Amino acid sequence: MSQHSKKARRFLADAKRAAWHDETLWMVRCKRDRAAEAVDDWENLRGQASDIKEKALENIPQYIRQFKEAARQNGAIVMEASNHVMLQGYVATILRSNGALRVVKSKSMLTEECGLNEYLIEQGFTIIDTDLGECIMQLRREPPSHIVLPAIHLRKEEIGETFHKHLGTEAGASDPTYLAQAARKYLREQFLSAQAAITGVNFAVAETGTIVVCTNEGNADMGVHAAPIQIHCMSIEKIIPAMADLGVFTRLLARSATGQAVTAYTSHYRTPKPDGKMYIIIVDNGRSERLYHPTGRSTLKCIRCGACMNTCPVYRRSGGHSYGQVIPGPIGSAIAPFRDFRTAAGLPFACSLCESCSNICPVRINLHEQLYYWRQEMNSYRSTPILRKLIMKTAALVLAKPLYYRLAGSLGRFFLRYFPFMLKLPLRAWTRGRKLPRPERQTFRQWYARNASKHTS
Amino acid sequence: MSKTILVNNFIKNVRTAGAEVLFSPGEAAVSTDRWPGLLDFSKADLRLQYQTLENSEQWTDIAHALFCSRLGVAENGAVWLEDADMPHRILPFITRHLILRLATDSLVADMHEAYAKLGQDNFGFGVFISGPSKTADIEQSLVYGAHGAKELTVLLCD
Repeated sequence: MSQHSKKARRFLADAKRAAWHDETLWMVRCKRDRAAEAVDDWENLRGQASDIKEKALENIPQYIRQFKEAARQNGAIVMEASNHVMLQGYVATILRSNGALRVVKSKSMLTEECGLNEYLIEQGFTIIDTDLGECIMQLRREPPSHIVLPAIHLRKEEIGETFHKHLGTEAGASDPTYLAQAARKYLREQFLSAQAAITGVNFAVAETGTIVVCTNEGNADMGVHAAPIQIHCMSIEKIIPAMADLGVFTRLLARSATGQAVTAYTSHYRTPKPDGKMYIIIVDNGRSERLYHPTGRSTLKCIRCGACMNTCPVYRRSGGHSYGQVIPGPIGSAIAPFRDFRTAAGLPFACSLCESCSNICPVRINLHEQLYYWRQEMNSYRSTPILRKLIMKTAALVLAKPLYYRLAGSLGRFFLRYFPFMLKLPLRAWTRGRKLPRPERQTFRQWYARNASKHTS
Repeated sequence: MSKTILVNNFIKNVRTAGAEVLFSPGEAAVSTDRWPGLLDFSKADLRLQYQTLENSEQWTDIAHALFCSRLGVAENGAVWLEDADMPHRILPFITRHLILRLATDSLVADMHEAYAKLGQDNFGFGVFISGPSKTADIEQSLVYGAHGAKELTVLLCD
């Protein structure tokens, strides 16, 4: 059994929580549908976004160069880190050289991927995650389980307990407004005493050297504007060519993510504040390898909206932590083999190939095709379990010969009708979460034989 | 798109984003009775006074702050602010209640038009604000005032 299956089983053991998780993410998915339907040329917009990203990836060295030049002209200090170790080193050096010990951070999957928090804490810095969801996860010392909704796997009572322990809220209090206000108070102190602010980046505009960050809470802005030092960490694929392209992406991002027309704040950072310093660190950390991989390349188009997670029937029923990756869900499973082929094994199989992710993706990443590709890659490297091999061989034989097929069908129906328990035994893993169907009285062939003559005559 | 539709869409989407919309015939309508201690940053002398703002304690107690915007977006109720509109970048975020004044002539239909209107302007910092600060990180329950303004009022004038 794969790691994902094992962890998913643990998640599903709490049936009530699992059902809540499934329904809640589906609700977010439905909000996305309503928001998308309200836009006249939604499909056209998706096409444009995909084209812009393709163009940006095609010419990425040129756009990065243009971006660096523009950003430097704006007064920003630009650095390039080829991997996570360099990013960690750069950030620590920036902080030390500016005498900054207290750091606030807004959401950034890149720094999560690069283990920045852990490194800075080890080096003696105080680093506070300020997105409410991420703050909760940091207090609990757990990784986020969703890239947009980091604490979606938790119930409010658990968050209440965490806050009681760390922020001194009343024991047993679990009202979301009360808890959020307690966090506001705690984090405001952090903002006002921080000496540096780190943010992730949603888009980086080559033409003008502008960094764009989208939040609902306003935490990126509170951090950046209050602290004298601002550090923006971006991976290379955040580059888009021009300001006009933002018109496309800002229309797609929040609608795809949460069903809002736009995030509460869409912030454009171009120059440092008066007497402040602005750093931009451009990180590769394995992107170049993906850029030149014929299949994996299009995963670099991702704008991190999380829609593929909300719609995925496997993600909704197994929880983000079951993937064991910084980025879970369909996009996470498509990226994971690049990060570590061995630990990613199993993830492309945690998929029913329903294609919902590909159909919802605002930048039209062919996610299900990616996962199908990785399944084959993985099977060519590892020995497929003998039982699966046997089943596949038998299936190939049965499906190739009409006689065998009919025979297998009638055998199946016979056992399903009279001895269902005999099927349950070998299919144990499959029937654990499902009921065996009642067989139909007549097969399609029988029905067709009876009805076809009526309609053709 | 006719102006009436534009204005109506804008109002609808500002409200969806959790903000209130008021109509103001002009500057005179901004009353300090309604918002005691209002800081009206549409006034140049106040902007100048706050430019040298250093002490963070000065920031924390701001209850009502008003800024004048030159751009609003009908499709999502977002209102644009940039460096020239504010003496310090943190002010629209740290005030408890944010008031944005906007002329109906400043409305555009969507984000494409919005960026076209901004064009090649060299703003150092600029932000689209749609509704008050919000979070749904606890069980997807919507709470206003996560970090930024708890309330937002858009003052529309002709």
